[in-house]
Amino acid sequence: MMHRNPARDERTMINRALALWGVFDALKDAAFVIREDGKSRQACLVTPELEAAVAGLEPLYCGLAVGDLAKHFSPTMEGADLFARLSGGGKYYVAVGENAEKLVLYGRDVMGDSVTNAASDIGENELVIITNRAGEAIGVGRTRFAGKLMTQKGKITVTTLKDAGRYLREEDGERQAKMSRSPRRRRS
Amino acid sequence: MALLFPQSPRADALARKYGYDPWLVSRFLQYVPDVERFLEKMEKKPTQYIRVNTIKTDAPILERRLEEKGFALSPTALPEVFAVEKAPMSAGATTEYMLGHYYLQDLSSCMAVEALDVKEGQKVLDMAAAPGGKTTLIAQRMGNTGCIIALEPSEKRARSMSFNLARLGVFNTCVCRMDGLDAERLGRFDRVLLDAPCSCEGVIAKDPTRKTSHAPEDVDYCSSRQEKMLEVALRVAKPGGIVVYSTCSFAPEENEAVVESVAQRLGAAVEPFGHGEQGLDSFGDRKFKTGKNTRRFYPHLHDTTGFFVARLRA
Repeated sequence: MMHRNPARDERTMINRALALWGVFDALKDAAFVIREDGKSRQACLVTPELEAAVAGLEPLYCGLAVGDLAKHFSPTMEGADLFARLSGGGKYYVAVGENAEKLVLYGRDVMGDSVTNAASDIGENELVIITNRAGEAIGVGRTRFAGKLMTQKGKITVTTLKDAGRYLREEDGERQAKMSRSPRRRRS
Repeated sequence: MALLFPQSPRADALARKYGYDPWLVSRFLQYVPDVERFLEKMEKKPTQYIRVNTIKTDAPILERRLEEKGFALSPTALPEVFAVEKAPMSAGATTEYMLGHYYLQDLSSCMAVEALDVKEGQKVLDMAAAPGGKTTLIAQRMGNTGCIIALEPSEKRARSMSFNLARLGVFNTCVCRMDGLDAERLGRFDRVLLDAPCSCEGVIAKDPTRKTSHAPEDVDYCSSRQEKMLEVALRVAKPGGIVVYSTCSFAPEENEAVVESVAQRLGAAVEPFGHGEQGLDSFGDRKFKTGKNTRRFYPHLHDTTGFFVARLRA
């Protein structure tokens, strides 16, 4: 595991993502390090003091991993949480009701009936942060429909890719790890 | 060497009644006040506490949300910690828990961080950090500023800790796979927390196997290692910096004796701290000049797990 400063193109990718999720002003001066293990890269938010202290160390974990860097920036669950708290919502945020919240936290997809708020100009196949009614991030998903079709009844309109309950399932050991490996996916 | 006392009919009777090794009860009779009430309390499920994660929410907001779900919470000596009086579901299964709005943490454990008195922007070392309860409390008390270097020799425990740091939104901390004894190469720190590996006598209520699973030799092993670790902690603290030493053991050899020995050797002051019971000023024929400034937490007196805290000024 290696932590290093972001290359110029990586910083550009991070900045574009911050703008997309509505947190550029809040985080434009923030420090990031890149966590790299040969197969994957993550952008980790750090404090300036931590950025300085970590030079010369070989930490296993450093700061808060807010996004996976591949061809595009994909927010991690903790990144989604931070962005939702700092932005207060925006085009790429989809809010769901109370019942759907519980189901998303079990990794289930979002039915159009459950969507309480989605931008009218949201496109199909967009990466979105799924929030509860309080605006707190509960998942990261991908839209299956655009605009007004996001709230259509009887259809899954957002595929849940990550959810805030996953950490608990993974942390709790073998039994819950087994659950998280299950390919079964139900509708919410 | 762990001090052993002649077995007495009272110690034998209590050991039989509560299922302890007699040597342990003979020792408890020397340093635990009101032993029978203590042993009775250790048979009961400990009170559960939640610590509000102020990085993500505020105490009144979380209190209201949990009460709406049927929880009953009561305040404690620390503003961000609540005792769970009634729980309609597991406190580790709520949406608020999953979203990192709180952490399940004993009040006594939070006291170590209270004693550390961290400030924003400081550089802090947590020498034995996993699973990260105290580390994340330090982070929130610092307002997610400055930096915390957290040490954990086990990769598995470090990974588990990383989940907690992530869930609670901490971004001023890094976790290094390192033994606390090797910390001198990390430079100097404003604050150092050493929550030392110990014989865990204080958590018998959570893990009753501890009644019979450890021996006097374990206390000796722990205290020897604890002395070395506390020496390192004081060496890496900046002049005037604070080192907090804590254990979840009642054994004086792991607590007052360690603090007395290292503080005298390195010329550190042991400062008073405003919670808990005063530490021991003697044990057997050993006298502890610094004992009165250390603090003990007892399950039957403070409704916490057993804990020891000492604040030293480098």
